[in-house]
Amino acid sequence: MGDYVWFHDVSWHATYAIYFFVIGIVAGLTFLSYLSWHNAALKPIRARSAWAALVLLAIGGLLLIGDLSQPLRFVNTLNPFYLNFASPLAWGVLNIVAFGIALVVYLFLMRKGKDGSGKWMAAIAALLALGLPVYTGFDLAVHQSRPVWNTPIMPVLFVAMAIASGSALASLLAGGNAATQASLRQYLLWSTGAVGVMLVSILGTTHYGGSAQELTYLILTTGTMGLIFVGIGIVAGTAVPIALLLAPFGRQQFSVIVAGLLVLAGGAALRYALLMGPQQLQTLY
Amino acid sequence: MSEELRVSPIETREVQGKRRFAMVVDLRRCIGCMACQVACKAEYDTPLGVNRTWVPYKVVGKYPNVRKQFLPRLCNHCDDPPCVRSCPVEATFKVEDGGFVLQRYERCIGCRSCMAACPYNARFMLPSHRTYTPITNVVDKCTFCFHRVTQDLVPACVQTCIGRSRIFGDLNDPNSEVSYLVATNATQVLRPEEGTKPHVFYIGADRNATEFARDAYRKPEVMEQERSAFKRHFNI
Repeated sequence: MGDYVWFHDVSWHATYAIYFFVIGIVAGLTFLSYLSWHNAALKPIRARSAWAALVLLAIGGLLLIGDLSQPLRFVNTLNPFYLNFASPLAWGVLNIVAFGIALVVYLFLMRKGKDGSGKWMAAIAALLALGLPVYTGFDLAVHQSRPVWNTPIMPVLFVAMAIASGSALASLLAGGNAATQASLRQYLLWSTGAVGVMLVSILGTTHYGGSAQELTYLILTTGTMGLIFVGIGIVAGTAVPIALLLAPFGRQQFSVIVAGLLVLAGGAALRYALLMGPQQLQTLY
Repeated sequence: MSEELRVSPIETREVQGKRRFAMVVDLRRCIGCMACQVACKAEYDTPLGVNRTWVPYKVVGKYPNVRKQFLPRLCNHCDDPPCVRSCPVEATFKVEDGGFVLQRYERCIGCRSCMAACPYNARFMLPSHRTYTPITNVVDKCTFCFHRVTQDLVPACVQTCIGRSRIFGDLNDPNSEVSYLVATNATQVLRPEEGTKPHVFYIGADRNATEFARDAYRKPEVMEQERSAFKRHFNI
């Protein structure tokens, strides 16, 4: 009775989770646009994916800058005399800028119809796009005092979620193209499966950890956060789409689109819960 | 402690010619008067709702043998500070001579990465409006009263502590009071498992009192209700 607890605020708010979601889709769409040079079935979404990635990159960039308490000082992150290369955020900023430039050049080459150089630029853009979920994963993983975040699997999980979310949005962009949908179904299925395996692994190690890990596990699996993480993220956004895609009617276009919508909802919920859940306990320390 | 224990080049323990300021908080002497908190607020015009130092307590024991266990808190000025590593623009840095972990307000972009990195919740975001001080919308924290210490004064909280519970000095000086206290008493630091090597040492801290607060063990809904009530009270 009567304990005096000082409640601290969480460091990163929901805007950051939306940014994670948007930037993950950007990376996924860029992968697919690159893969379309090697997989003819994906060719119809080549340009659409790249343009959608550019639009979403602009939205994500605005979210990231808008979330800073000093938005105009964003230029400080591009000052070579200020940059601290021990911070994943510094690498992330350089990665985003380089990726943005590569994506614009890629779109320009595609518009000019220069297929040879466009293919090379697509590869460069895809490599830089890989850095986006990797850096966002490291952004969380480097915080040694945070259960769930501080796992080496976090960057890999973000890459898998990026492919899943990108494929999900691409299934909407593909419309009624049966061959494209069939190809996207494969990416959706395998990446969502990988996300599911990694989530089980993270939940297992968290549940069997120390007191901070166990309390974080409780926060993530009960109450409203439990509904978001387990209900929407794991069940509706990971398990159900996998079951849907593996069902006898899973190869139909309708099933792929429904699975894609579920994966998008699940991807947003997972990123929110993975960002906010592990911060709750720390606010009580 | 031997210098072989240094695992990072940023650490300054037993480095010749460099000072390593530390604070010892003797919990046997703390009466929970919160004068340290008030002195700090007065020194820095710290706004409502945030604190550079604060004094939470737990009620321990069983009725009728109960007492309040105070645990004054502040930035630990870690020898290996995770906040310094995580800042993308080096707005947070460690002073080589003295070990102060300080903040460049004019450079801080407000990404809160340092806040996320700190295991001790020592950092906070300054509000957008302040009455007397123009520093707003950047991350702030305890500075170990750098401006006072460089003028051979002790930090404001140490100066005001009525029970001499807080003692400040150079840990690399074997003749300092803090060196003597750390050498002759069993001391504890907060969250030693994080490897941050804090420079705030406690005498008489119970591990049960330095862990997560009681609220962490409640249902999330109840925790959320208390948090809302707390925020309403402070109008945050």
